[in-house]
Amino acid sequence: MSSPEPIVAKGLGRQFGDNVVIEPLDVSVDRGQRVGIVGADGAGKTTLLQMLAGILDPTVGECRVLGFDTRQGAKQIAARIGYMSQGFTLYDRLSVKENLSFAARIRDVPDELYRERSERLLSMSGLGRFTDRPAAKLSGGMRKKLSLCTNLVHEPELLILDEPGLGVDPLSRRHLWAMLDRFRAQGLTMVVATSYMDEAELCDRILLLEQGRVLADGSLKELLRPAAGRVFTVNTGDTGRGLRELSGILAQIESVHSVQWLPDHLRLVMNADIAENQLADLLPEGAHLAAAEPRLEDLFVLRTEKVTGEQQFPELTRQDRGKEEGLVVTGLSVRFGHFKAVDRVSFEAPSGELLALLGPNGAGKTTLIRALCGLVAIDEGSARVAGVSSGGGSTALRRQIGYMSQRFSLYLELTPWENLRFFANAYGLAGGAARAAIDWAREVTGLTDIPDKLTGDLSSALRQRLALACSLLHRPRVLFLDEPTSGVDPIARYRFWRVIRELAASGMTVLVTTHYLEEAAYCDRLALMLDGRLLAHGSRSSLNHSLGLDADATVETLFTAAIEQAGTANSRALGP
Amino acid sequence: MKAHRLGALIVKESRELIRDPVTVALAVIMPLIMLFLFGYAVNLDVEQVAVGIYDLDNTPASRELSARFDSSRYFQLEQKTTDLHDLESALQSSTISMGVVIPAGFARQLLRGDEAPVQVIVDGGYPVLGRLASAYAEAVITNFPAPRQSAIRVQARVWFNPSLRSVNFVIPGLFAVILMAFPPLLTALAIVREKETGTIEQIYASPVTSTEFVVGKLVPYGLVAFLEILMVMVVGFAWFQVPIAGSPTLLLMSAFVYVLTTVGIGLLVSSLVRTQLAAMLITLIVTLMPSFLFSGFLFPLFTMPLALQLYSWLFPAGYFMEISRGIVLKSAGLEAVLPNLMMLIVYTAMVFVFAAWRMKQKVA
Repeated sequence: MSSPEPIVAKGLGRQFGDNVVIEPLDVSVDRGQRVGIVGADGAGKTTLLQMLAGILDPTVGECRVLGFDTRQGAKQIAARIGYMSQGFTLYDRLSVKENLSFAARIRDVPDELYRERSERLLSMSGLGRFTDRPAAKLSGGMRKKLSLCTNLVHEPELLILDEPGLGVDPLSRRHLWAMLDRFRAQGLTMVVATSYMDEAELCDRILLLEQGRVLADGSLKELLRPAAGRVFTVNTGDTGRGLRELSGILAQIESVHSVQWLPDHLRLVMNADIAENQLADLLPEGAHLAAAEPRLEDLFVLRTEKVTGEQQFPELTRQDRGKEEGLVVTGLSVRFGHFKAVDRVSFEAPSGELLALLGPNGAGKTTLIRALCGLVAIDEGSARVAGVSSGGGSTALRRQIGYMSQRFSLYLELTPWENLRFFANAYGLAGGAARAAIDWAREVTGLTDIPDKLTGDLSSALRQRLALACSLLHRPRVLFLDEPTSGVDPIARYRFWRVIRELAASGMTVLVTTHYLEEAAYCDRLALMLDGRLLAHGSRSSLNHSLGLDADATVETLFTAAIEQAGTANSRALGP
Repeated sequence: MKAHRLGALIVKESRELIRDPVTVALAVIMPLIMLFLFGYAVNLDVEQVAVGIYDLDNTPASRELSARFDSSRYFQLEQKTTDLHDLESALQSSTISMGVVIPAGFARQLLRGDEAPVQVIVDGGYPVLGRLASAYAEAVITNFPAPRQSAIRVQARVWFNPSLRSVNFVIPGLFAVILMAFPPLLTALAIVREKETGTIEQIYASPVTSTEFVVGKLVPYGLVAFLEILMVMVVGFAWFQVPIAGSPTLLLMSAFVYVLTTVGIGLLVSSLVRTQLAAMLITLIVTLMPSFLFSGFLFPLFTMPLALQLYSWLFPAGYFMEISRGIVLKSAGLEAVLPNLMMLIVYTAMVFVFAAWRMKQKVA
């Protein structure tokens, strides 16, 4: 039998009701190829993968996987592929071994083959020592590795992975990819959805998805070609206000497409090819220009209109730094029963600092923020937020803090206006004061025209800005943002960070959690969390320096090095 | 259907079930709690009705009549008063359910052989009780001072439940209700839980067929439900001392079929909905409620309007109710229970076919 092509899709499209999630697309994947599906949350990655795996029927077009039609031949396909979905793929109450043997038996693997393969897979994944442990008690990284094993035990011809790196610490992620590399060497075809740049780099070919459309298809190098030679960094040796002014000046230059404001430099994307010295001539005195590596995000940026972001940003009154202390956290622990969600964390963030709290899902980031906001009882240690103690969640504390949670705690059945008015009233603002606060918050967040719809019907980008506006109404001194950018497209994220930067520059202390490690580049300092503990804390360059890395090492590399240095992380995750 | 895949599913499902102590405890304890609660609470016997007596005569004869009420096991003398208002307010406040007024001259009229009227006022707020209490009161009064001779003598014989203990009737009915209450609930969560956690996508993306998946759930949950009914039956017969007239084997065999029905309903609900909450609510609405109202457990079906009688056929609890009561009380044999048993079998088959058909192999 001549081996048919792993994937041939023709006009494949899917809609849910009126919502077109995947526009009809043609795609074919060659044997042995590793294809990355890259796109923001909501771009349609999962829907596309589900169709390829034959567990979701397309509304239009057709798809043949390994020679079988995904509509009629779903079960034949199922026997020949591995599909690792994004969510939980394991049975928590079953042990590692039981999960694996269940996966093997329902995939028709004969017992003798299973014995040999399971041994190999378990030792390769480092799970060999934990065969009797229930899946519920595995760390996020180990769960993913076991999931991968369950999808490899029948030696599939095609492996479909939906965001395998999500919720996994960088070190485990590296192990996961090492496993994938070994199977790739044996000729396994792979389709991987990812939002990590470094994972995309490991693919032979990338499909860039945006709102259900294929924006680009090719190797990373090919994809980045439109942005090649168009990305630059500018620094003046100054931080803060100086950069803000400079960004305003740069935005006036016609060929500048976008300006990103980062802690110690600006990043420019040009809308036309321009020689470095030509651009340097346009810069004011003292600004130092350097060419930079383009990123996938830049492609999204280039596709939109000029996004300099400086559109009449209101001048924020600079708050007096002297009397405030921002955040002071000393030896803080939070326990849930026997489980230490936050384990003796100490750090400080002066006012006006933008601090990123980084770590995989389950590292304790959200719990830490909730403890600082007085929403979770502190079991050990203490925290002062803008000079007020966090314990007990007093009214005084609440007046100082703004909190925007992971799922944007807005009332979806109210209109944006009603939400704004409700939150203004909830903060004790009424009448003229409320109107003034709402106007100010709208201006800051760029919510100039608010559609007259229910909040639930707004795009996630608009909802994100609305949530931010609601959390700013009482002009808090410390702002907590818990995964504020999840589910939002790159452009909206880009604008969002600009607003955050401005807020920090006005003297507000901002603590942001994110699992997009690249976003940490926007922040002044980083706090790396794993298993409830703070692994490292400091500016990116100082952390890189102390860990003996290159000055421009990625946050990803930095995090991995920090875990390795902490050393115990893995043994802790694996230990009893 | 492949044996090794089905085996893997059954083993996996059993392990998950056994390792969930809360569910197992609920599966064992809840039916017993319900058995005891209803075994004691649902008492249709009218006994110890509180009586107030307004005795205007106050003679040895009137006091004797009062004593007759007091000594009857159907009544309990709560109040003797000489004030009509007391009687009224006691009836109003439900301290008594029945008032007896013995007028002045009662003893005299009796002696004379005249008609001696006695007034009985019954609280009709709860009609069944009211009706029974007035009938009992009439019997007490008619037989006073001595049983009267009549031309016709009625010799009543009660068949099937000669002691007229309502518990003999309630317990076999409870089997049908309890089995309709818990196994479907337990099972309904089984598939939905996998939908909520996302593990079901792994099942979709494997060669497992929907029939294998459904049967793989049915076997362990059916077994748990069968153990449940065994336990409830043993406790029911032993603790409440309900005599079983017919064949215990036939009862168990019918119970086995009924178990498949109830678990099947749970699976069907589970295959239709997406969230555990919806599964629970729908299961309660389609199983527990109708099994109380439309099974003949407490309210006989033949007194209902025709439309509701037809509606009641939709719910299988009634079929097993008749089987169970038939075997326990009337010693019904296979021939007598066969029509209902066939209904159950057909019903179960339909539920399974529908569940396996609805159990799609796709995400949406």
